[in-house]
Amino acid sequence: MAPTPNGKVAAVKKKINLWAWFWILLGALYFLVPLYGTFDFSLREKRGVLSLLAYQNVLADPRFRDSFTYSALMALATIVVGLLLIVPTAYWVHLRLPQVRPLIEFITLMPFVVPAIVLVFGLIRIYSGPPLALTNSDPLTNFLLMCGYVILSMPYTYRSVDTGLRAIDVRTLTEAAQSLGAGWFTILFRIIFPNIRAALLSGAFLTFAIVIGEFTLASLLGRPAFGPYLVYMGNNRAYEPAALAIISLALTWAAIGLIQLLSHGRPGQEQVGGVH
Amino acid sequence: MAFLELTNIRKQFGQAVAVEDFNLKVDRGEFVSFLGPSGCGKTTTLRMIAGFEIPTVGRVAVDNVDITDKAPNQRNVGMVFQSYALFPNMTVAQNIGFGLRIRRESESAIKERVDEMLALIHLEQKGPSYPSQLSGGQQQRVALARALAIRPQVLLLDEPLSALDAKIRVSLRAEIRAIQRKLGITAIYVTHDQEEALSISDRIVVMSQGHMEQVGTPFEIYNFPQTAFVASFVGTLNTTTAEVVDSARGVLQIDGARLETAEKLDGRQKGDKVTIAIRPERFSFASEQKKANVVDCRIENITFLGSIVRIQVSIGSGKYYMDTFNNPFLELPKIGDKDQVTCSREAVLVLKS
Repeated sequence: MAPTPNGKVAAVKKKINLWAWFWILLGALYFLVPLYGTFDFSLREKRGVLSLLAYQNVLADPRFRDSFTYSALMALATIVVGLLLIVPTAYWVHLRLPQVRPLIEFITLMPFVVPAIVLVFGLIRIYSGPPLALTNSDPLTNFLLMCGYVILSMPYTYRSVDTGLRAIDVRTLTEAAQSLGAGWFTILFRIIFPNIRAALLSGAFLTFAIVIGEFTLASLLGRPAFGPYLVYMGNNRAYEPAALAIISLALTWAAIGLIQLLSHGRPGQEQVGGVH
Repeated sequence: MAFLELTNIRKQFGQAVAVEDFNLKVDRGEFVSFLGPSGCGKTTTLRMIAGFEIPTVGRVAVDNVDITDKAPNQRNVGMVFQSYALFPNMTVAQNIGFGLRIRRESESAIKERVDEMLALIHLEQKGPSYPSQLSGGQQQRVALARALAIRPQVLLLDEPLSALDAKIRVSLRAEIRAIQRKLGITAIYVTHDQEEALSISDRIVVMSQGHMEQVGTPFEIYNFPQTAFVASFVGTLNTTTAEVVDSARGVLQIDGARLETAEKLDGRQKGDKVTIAIRPERFSFASEQKKANVVDCRIENITFLGSIVRIQVSIGSGKYYMDTFNNPFLELPKIGDKDQVTCSREAVLVLKS
């Protein structure tokens, strides 16, 4: 029996599906095999048996808790300051100054061009003496570090916020709110922020991930952050760094999961009605 | 005393003049439409009333209070946008109550007003829904309710029906007009759709290239267009250049045929050129008794438009449209037939140059 045209289409579809699965599998293996290797290695601290000893050592180490807590708090401060700086800027650029968007984009890309080591030496050189001596006390050095983190996370935060603002009609929503009597503060906090929530969360968690793993700024400013701790462990221990890598990965996935959880299930993102 | 007054308005963006020499007085409760093609300045004028643009020159006053320099949120002006502009993060009820919350009204007063507005737009059950769960027509009704909830002095509507399909447009424009009449609110409506403007307005401002071309009732705008632009923009119109034969008696000549107009040709000399306009429905086939304004023609084309049959005839070298009601019991002429058409003297309009 000769194959029908429909039969041919089905065969081609099946072939395409098989190739798709092949590439997905290959990609998954590329990521999962090294991960499995790291995980497997992290379980072999006790000779001859699989154990969670490396994880216990890491979690029992007060320097792990302290450095992680310090970096998490720094990340939260960076997120708040970064968003307060970038959201109004990006909003104003969208609303009133679209012609300066290329300039702003260029500025936000600077951290990719200027290495962190150059940035931190610049910060130390300018802020270690009068008139703004910020490196003389821990709180002020923390502040300086946080400012550095804001700069480092700027490309990611700005792009997230910019994408969010592009997805909504900023100008019309602003004008609608204005015509109803709203001022700038109300517009920003009750209209703009809630409608780019997913973008804000995405920017926030990217910032979190950057700050948690950052080494150069924290190390050269002499702050007890998680990044220097990771390097210290890597230099001095065998199995614990592997356990730390897995823990960091788990925390990253938890952060991504949190983004999904917090930005999911809110109406207002899709049109379901036709014209009635 | 006019309720809304725009005096000597001019708006310039850089070197480009968007609106010029715009003067308009709108009475309380009046429904005025700004009609014109894209880029004619109608939306810019509306935005100046809303406060989103500041006039380069001129004054905007509502109820005799100068609001020219007031910020948009300091004016009590409601606005409905083409893209609805509902806040996606808020429910329908929250959207409608937004302006009242800004005004710090009590929760009970807000709820009462929101319910009243929902009833007005016949969406009583949709209070807890989000905008994305509504159709386009429903969203625009909510936008209207939101704009009305704050009891604005003036309601501005910026092409509110453009994003909707034809059937919804017709029903919603009737609803908008009914609500406006019921509330007695002063409304300014921007549209490029002449049928919409003609059907909904008390008065129409026809605009072109930043200028007011003509202000009048829909009847005046349609039947007595004063300029060639209005004549060409509003409805279908036959326009042609005619030569003055006898200015005292209103005799003109087009393509070798003589026509008489009831309009005055004061100041025109024999041989002067004027632009004349005749609506297609003012032409008819000439009966044998009719003597005046009868011209020979040839049937060039016949188009069936449902209730109307549009016949294209040639008079001399010019081509003209003639509309006649569809009557299934009357025989239509055939393409190529020679016949005679006529129109009354009043149907021949002489346009301002």
